[in-house]
Amino acid sequence: MNTIYHDLERLLAEGETVAVATIVRVRGSVPREVGTKMIVRAGGKHIGTVGGGCGEGDVILAGLDVLQTGRPRTVAVDLTEDISMISQGVCGGIMDVFVERWQPEGEPTF
Amino acid sequence: MTVHPMSDPILTALTQSITRKRPVALATVVAATGLWAAQVGRKAVVWLDQEPLGLGNAHEYGSLGLGDLDARALADAHDALAHKHHRLLRYEIEGEQVEVFVEVQRRPPTLIIVGAGHIAVPLAQLGGLCAFSVTVLDDRAQFATRERFPTADQVIAAPFRKTMREMPIDNDTYVVLVTRGHQHDIDCLLEVIDGPAAYIGMIGSKRRVRAVFELLEREQGMNPAKFDRVYSPIGLDIGAETPAEIAVCIMAEIIKVFRGNAGTARSISDERREKARRRSA
Repeated sequence: MNTIYHDLERLLAEGETVAVATIVRVRGSVPREVGTKMIVRAGGKHIGTVGGGCGEGDVILAGLDVLQTGRPRTVAVDLTEDISMISQGVCGGIMDVFVERWQPEGEPTF
Repeated sequence: MTVHPMSDPILTALTQSITRKRPVALATVVAATGLWAAQVGRKAVVWLDQEPLGLGNAHEYGSLGLGDLDARALADAHDALAHKHHRLLRYEIEGEQVEVFVEVQRRPPTLIIVGAGHIAVPLAQLGGLCAFSVTVLDDRAQFATRERFPTADQVIAAPFRKTMREMPIDNDTYVVLVTRGHQHDIDCLLEVIDGPAAYIGMIGSKRRVRAVFELLEREQGMNPAKFDRVYSPIGLDIGAETPAEIAVCIMAEIIKVFRGNAGTARSISDERREKARRRSA
């Protein structure tokens, strides 16, 4: 069977450094459940989804940042904006997403 | 010269365990204040059984770098794994806060559909959509076919009872009994009722199901409490009528059980269980 960890293993084996985002806490109504993961690759391509339009852009940006700095961090994605006709998201909660860098073993950290 | 990077031993332990269908959890320090901040990102792998990969004689591999707290955090991670739920653990050490996220890798659930009739076709599709590994069994070779169940992982044409007796069933297995005749449903029910299956559902009207259970009680001397675990009449009460709608109502009930009964919707069979409880009270 293939899981996102197998994708991660494959990318690392190919020598690619990536960022991995994991939803660790949710409050209110959010698009994906705790434990959902997404791999962010250089250039912003991603594998998996933390919920599409609803705040996913924020997570990809955080992933690109962590790819650069190597410093893991947690981003709070707030989907509680006022409900209006122009609002893009349909959710009403907040999710905390842990973002960390994975790199092939044996590469210098910085 | 091509450089072949070595893989991360934690990641290797995790993917190998998943491939071998061993229950496993990944614990990661996701937040920490003060001196502990340097440990954010540290990881360990936790197994339910003694680790299966020859990495040592233990239930875990790796360290969170949290000193005395490590053993407690890994014990809590083990507990989360035993309960099959992700968990965000929070600790305070010497006035500092530490958070550890435990990600539980569940074994992929299996849906066994016994009977390849009208309901089995949409149910096999729905099971696949919901990421269940789907097996369809029927004793009629013209119904148990790949053409009829293109998305199923396994389609078996073989006698019901003998096949169900030999079928590997664990506590991530969901069994749906929808054969063409009640006798086959009952035969297969008797094969799985004492086993570890997470879910056993059997089709039939309220009246029919009650009569079947009373018959088994009378003629086979079965303890009626045994039937409490059987979801029969099968499915959630959404007024389903067509085979496709009934498949949705069955899959909805399976999801409810799979998600630890987190939802508030009622099973059609809840009424039967409540009546039985009232009688015994």
